[in-house]
Amino acid sequence: MKKLLALLMVLLVAGSFLFAAGSSEKAATDKGVTIKVANYALLESGYEQFWKDVKTNFEAKYPTIKIEWVTAPYGEIVNQVVNMAGGGDMVDAIFGEIGWVPGLVDTGLAAPVRDILSPEFVNDFFPDVLKSFEVDGKAYGIPLYISPYVLYYNKDLFRQASLDPNKPPKTYTEMLTYAEKLSKLKDSNGNKVFAFGQTTASVPVSGSSINAMVFNFGGQVLDEQGKLSVDNQGFKDTISMLQLLDQKGYNPQNAKLKDLRSLFALGQLAMYYDQSWGFNGIQSINAKAKDFIASAEPLRGGLGSGESLLQAHAFILMDNGSARSTALAKFVEYVISEEVLSDYLRDITPAYPAKNSMASMESVANNGVLKGASPAAGRVRVQTFIPQISALNLELCSLAQAVTVGKQEVGSAIEKFKTSAVVKISQ
Amino acid sequence: MKTKTLSSKKSDSLFSLLLDLPAFLLLAGFIVVPIIDSVVKSFQTFGIKNIITKKPGVWNDFANYLYLFKTDDFTGATLHTFSFVLGVVLVQFLLAILLALILNSNIKGARFMRSVMMTPWVVPTVISALIWMWLFQPQYGLLKYLVSVVTFGKVSEFAILNNPSTALLGVGVAALWKQIPLMTLLLLAGLQNVPQDISEAAMIDGAGKLRRFFSIILPYLSPVIKVSVSMSIIENFKQFPLFWTMTGGGPNNATTTLAVLSYREAFVSMNLGAGAAVTTLWMLMMIVVIFGYNKLFRVQEF
Repeated sequence: MKKLLALLMVLLVAGSFLFAAGSSEKAATDKGVTIKVANYALLESGYEQFWKDVKTNFEAKYPTIKIEWVTAPYGEIVNQVVNMAGGGDMVDAIFGEIGWVPGLVDTGLAAPVRDILSPEFVNDFFPDVLKSFEVDGKAYGIPLYISPYVLYYNKDLFRQASLDPNKPPKTYTEMLTYAEKLSKLKDSNGNKVFAFGQTTASVPVSGSSINAMVFNFGGQVLDEQGKLSVDNQGFKDTISMLQLLDQKGYNPQNAKLKDLRSLFALGQLAMYYDQSWGFNGIQSINAKAKDFIASAEPLRGGLGSGESLLQAHAFILMDNGSARSTALAKFVEYVISEEVLSDYLRDITPAYPAKNSMASMESVANNGVLKGASPAAGRVRVQTFIPQISALNLELCSLAQAVTVGKQEVGSAIEKFKTSAVVKISQ
Repeated sequence: MKTKTLSSKKSDSLFSLLLDLPAFLLLAGFIVVPIIDSVVKSFQTFGIKNIITKKPGVWNDFANYLYLFKTDDFTGATLHTFSFVLGVVLVQFLLAILLALILNSNIKGARFMRSVMMTPWVVPTVISALIWMWLFQPQYGLLKYLVSVVTFGKVSEFAILNNPSTALLGVGVAALWKQIPLMTLLLLAGLQNVPQDISEAAMIDGAGKLRRFFSIILPYLSPVIKVSVSMSIIENFKQFPLFWTMTGGGPNNATTTLAVLSYREAFVSMNLGAGAAVTTLWMLMMIVVIFGYNKLFRVQEF
């Protein structure tokens, strides 16, 4: 009897491990449809309420459709989606950035948007913008809004340095003269004020920002075929500029975008490059930031005309069968509308609409934060999509760190970068 | 006294085996099979797409391993991993034994100190990383301030994690803060089992403190030292959260260890085959190190 009991106990314990794995709930039921949307923004205080309202209002409008959020921090959400899909539980959409598209297409997760959304809805998007989401001629993401990298600057610090707050620099040369004055300032606590911020931390989005800077200088990183193409003056000028900024102590070393946002919000950074929606991060730290923040076009450097990289927050869609796809189409069309995004683009995330029918939205046309950077919206370039874009972006960060904190010479660092990057993108 | 019959012994053995079977199956299912699977994938072209489409990987003539040696990344990561393990384990052992000796000397408040000392150990690793990032913060961090005070303002911009030559040290400090308490506790438990009579006899025979430490305490402690140091080697060999949170492998790859490289290849570049190749080599290195360490320790025992 004792032996039997012991055996039963062992089986019970072992069985509990197996049953602990749980089971997934069926997303489509007789009563309605549940769609799963992966969204890191729900974990960020500045965006949380907006997305909660989206769910409440959408479910009120379409009572048979339920939204189930899948959340993870920004840096982990793609892995979360991939791991879920690997386990047979594929989400219906992920809210993310344009740079995530090639990776998700390569994994086979992303579906062509035209397979899910109605032609009338898709055809309303600016063709050039939609083209920037294409892989092999098919668009795999649908943007909520777009923006180039913009130059945010602190008008108060400009005044303190006897600079005209309505005349931000237009070229890198001008910026350096401004920076000389701005770098002499101290904040109210006696802390150093950094003159110019360009992210170089070891995260893919920093590489993407460096890529935008290469475009400022008229250079490129990849050619149209997706091959490495850095033997150009613009690329060399960019890396040299990063080194110069570091040598002069203008740029906070190895900073992530969120570090730059913190410094800017606290009045310890005078100018920096960010996606336009970086404003939300600034405002989350300093609610009064709207009083001193202004935006300007990306700077012109070398032979470049100040072009920048197109950035977008987008839905990347996945096909889970007709019932869920139909519900997903309704959700996407609901969110990407003037009704939902108008207040959001005015108060939470300044950015430009991606659709013709939203082009003249009052909240965008009269957006004080974006006003200075508006002309830059017409000077965006698209980075060629390759599946290894994240790996390449990390290599760009390593290059920037090599010539700054690594104190390496620009020419030799670029040569080393080329060797490494070619191997990475050939995988 | 009853003597068990042969069939009764057989029945007992069979029953023991039956009891062990679920544990063996779980071990095989959750540890052995994934390891074998990872090794197999390291020889294949295998990406996330294979998981999604349920298609098996394709043998690629050692391409994943050849790829690792085409750049300096793998060599650098190996070097950083070994430097980190060696440095942290060595310093950790020295500080832990010193602390254990102090706490074992019946000083006032030893019990309180023992409780307080355990705090870093119970803090989750990611939180430890965030705490140390804050202390090391280049604009307003405590370390920057202390360095500025100590150098009378000559060094006003000390950023340990931003400098490729000091970043590994910065992560090492965080690792030491987190791990020293456990090793101290283990060594303290060992010290409390050292027979006092032998130590007292040696003292009567004229043995000084150092002689007693090296000839009595250390030999009695050796089983505990062996276990605690091997635990520390393994812990630091596979250290990932501190690196990923504090530096992400930067600056200029100065803190890219095998753990970081494996994660980057598998989940940033989404090349699971290359990630598995790093993991396989990493696992082999860890086996060799632990095997060598155990062998070395056994030799010293004789």
